[in-house]
Amino acid sequence: MKRMTPEQIITEALDRYERPLISYAREITGDLESARDAVQETFLRLSRQDVAALEPRLRAWLFLVCRNCALDHRRKVVRFTDDGIDDRQASEDPSPDASAMAAEEGGRLRQMVARLPEQQRELVKLKFEAGLSYKEMGDALKISVSHVGVELHTALQTLRREWRRENPEPVTP
Amino acid sequence: MNDPRITSYALGELTSRAREEFERDLAASDDLQHELHETLNLAKSLGHLPMPTDQLETEQRTHLLRQCADNQAATRRRNKVVRLWLPLSLAAAACLLLLPMVLPTQNSTSPEAPDFEGASAAADEKSDASALVAAVGQEAAKETRASAGLVVATAAPAEAPPVSETLALNAPLVVSAPAAPALRRAERSSEVAGSISTFTGGWGKGSASGGVARGRMESDSLARSVAPSDDFNTEAYNAIRENTFLAAQENPLSTFSIDVDTASYSNVRRFLRDGQMPPAGAIRTEEFINYFTYNYPQPVGAGPFSVNLEVSQSPWASGRGLVRIGIKGRDLPPTERGPANLVFLVDVSGSMNSPDKLPLLQRSLRGLVENLSAEDTVAIAVYAGSSGLVLPPTPGSKKSEIIAALDNLSAGGSTHGSEGIKLAYETARQNFRRGGLNRVILCTDGDFNVGVTDQSELTKLIERERASGVFLSVLGFGTGNLKDATMELLADKGNGNYAYIDTPAEGRKVLVEQMGATLFTIAKDVKIQVEFNPARVAAYRLIGYENRILAKEDFNDDKKDAGEIGAGHTVTALYEIIPAGQPVPGAPSVDALKYQTPAPVTDGRPGSGDLLTVKLRYKASDGDTSKLLEVPLAAENIPPFASASEDFRFAAAVAAFGLKLRQSPEAGNLSWDDIQKIARGALGADPGSHRAEFLTLIEQAKSLGLPAEDQ
Repeated sequence: MKRMTPEQIITEALDRYERPLISYAREITGDLESARDAVQETFLRLSRQDVAALEPRLRAWLFLVCRNCALDHRRKVVRFTDDGIDDRQASEDPSPDASAMAAEEGGRLRQMVARLPEQQRELVKLKFEAGLSYKEMGDALKISVSHVGVELHTALQTLRREWRRENPEPVTP
Repeated sequence: MNDPRITSYALGELTSRAREEFERDLAASDDLQHELHETLNLAKSLGHLPMPTDQLETEQRTHLLRQCADNQAATRRRNKVVRLWLPLSLAAAACLLLLPMVLPTQNSTSPEAPDFEGASAAADEKSDASALVAAVGQEAAKETRASAGLVVATAAPAEAPPVSETLALNAPLVVSAPAAPALRRAERSSEVAGSISTFTGGWGKGSASGGVARGRMESDSLARSVAPSDDFNTEAYNAIRENTFLAAQENPLSTFSIDVDTASYSNVRRFLRDGQMPPAGAIRTEEFINYFTYNYPQPVGAGPFSVNLEVSQSPWASGRGLVRIGIKGRDLPPTERGPANLVFLVDVSGSMNSPDKLPLLQRSLRGLVENLSAEDTVAIAVYAGSSGLVLPPTPGSKKSEIIAALDNLSAGGSTHGSEGIKLAYETARQNFRRGGLNRVILCTDGDFNVGVTDQSELTKLIERERASGVFLSVLGFGTGNLKDATMELLADKGNGNYAYIDTPAEGRKVLVEQMGATLFTIAKDVKIQVEFNPARVAAYRLIGYENRILAKEDFNDDKKDAGEIGAGHTVTALYEIIPAGQPVPGAPSVDALKYQTPAPVTDGRPGSGDLLTVKLRYKASDGDTSKLLEVPLAAENIPPFASASEDFRFAAAVAAFGLKLRQSPEAGNLSWDDIQKIARGALGADPGSHRAEFLTLIEQAKSLGLPAEDQ
């Protein structure tokens, strides 16, 4: 029976999703600053919506809009600078803190994720960092739920295969 | 093996039928089992990857939240302007006639999402109209599209606008006859109108939002397509703004549901400790006040609680008074409270794998287990990729077994709550203790993914279980992920409470010191209605409880759900009052009503010295009909603040702190030091040192130099 005010919904959405959204946007833009811009833009757009009505599907909405904002950023970079492509590729290399922990399993796993095709990489992030359901991922990426299932399965298959190649032992947690 | 079901199953995404089928296949195939095993392990490892840490800069964040609040306020202002008379809105519609020709060109540049229009419309930031469409649910959006076709056919044949937002603009054109849907839609479209030209007009008060006239086919479907946002225009709005002063003459009744949540205080504490200014929306003053326990006396007689009223002058606004309503639930000694049948439902998904989550949860629950008696039983169920019972109902005499099971919990996998919650309820029901406490305690970091089950189904389940006598409490853990609206909703529906545990001390407070209050409900659906005597009180303002305001009619409606009171729990509410004869600042300039007879007070004592009468309605924890309690507050004069009780002064300091922190216009002119001084002088015995901690919080707010300090 308790209803949150739109301001509360916005604040709490920022609390919860700030980090996963930035991480997700950075996956697309390749750099932290544009990722931050994209997330700020996302919330500004949110604040112009009927937040209460949006709430039941807020999470999918946030990731969809954030993706659009990040893509806009990327388009601008590609359009306005000659070496926008390089900027883009930077994100596919392990980030500095990833190489620092490359010795660890987590670091290797991260690198494997970074080598996945773009959509699968996004899905892995949405699932394991942001905790979206198939339905929400489908809404955010504008693809069908069954397509989400197939893509994510393919991603996990690839990861398992690579993992097995690097570790002859079965996967351990 | 290329079977996507493996991954779907591991992530808890199969429907129950598909799952059964898969499990049959699974039993028959070693390969499949091996694949699944590997997939589960991989999912676990992925869930264990360090969570991203990059955030916005503190300044960016503060600035962003402020801008968001401004935008929302602007939207509200626009929505107010919208309540125009029908002729005016039709006039507005006429003005809009030209717009569809203009808009599509703007839209053609923005990427379209055929199945998720609200969001992609939002991508077109320039168009104010996007706000209209985004308010509409996905289902409705489809309808909108269909109706848009209709509209296009009749109104704008020249250029078929592909985007549904044009609908909002076109709509008023189609509807000339049926008044209600037309006006309702016009409300929305004149949001656009508001930004184009300025209307001045009557403030016709929402007669439109009530009646639903069904007209011609197209207007009918149009009306439905905007329906989901209707309640946004009504209920949600009432809840937003801080309560303002209301004149006792026109509004003698103030009605609200009690609030036993305290999460806002611990949340804000986290902000301040991190050196950040908490956003105003996170500050719920009533939860601040109720974070602290007050020494109200035990109830005398058979009633479940005592009502303690006190009044003094306001410490932050001279000439005004402060009224406290303090309620104390009866303490239940363990011998009287009947056996407890507790089922912990613990989220062990990967995200719980953080020192401030699962380990803190284990530690907090251990404290609770220590205090159980031999009659009580505890069971533990977990949920993640799969769910299961870790500990069957075990008596409190076997504490070491319970604690061993708690200690064995480890996190991994993704979250899938719906199966777990069914299992937990089932366990609680099988072990049901008549005359005792039967409760499921959900412990999670907020990622309560209801998976394939939709949310309404889940709330229905919880309401059903509530009727069968099993209640639900929710404990939130961890930072950055807290206070999911779902969790709060679940606790509300389950007659439970929602607490946020961020430190071992907080775990102790909620689960050990206040275990009775957290777990043992002694009265439910507790509502308060205060009737002010206009002969003594010119105006009043309820501090906080903005989300808990009820209509005055709801007070006597036993079907209206409201808050619960636990054993030994105290609930406190403060009113600011302006004594009769003083001007009411900021009172909306409404002309005096002509036909209103002054001061008809209920019991025919208009001249009585009563400031007000507090009426309480509550139901016994297992009852369905409510009882009424009435307590008048009589006071010849309003005594000075300094002579008020310790509890009163402390509660006032907490309220002043909340108001100042959220930069309320009613915060008065107290400095942080003033507030600290009041609090320091009212610490009392302070078991648990929560009040002393409050002093340090004021210190932190002060050192942040919030803008309020400059005023």
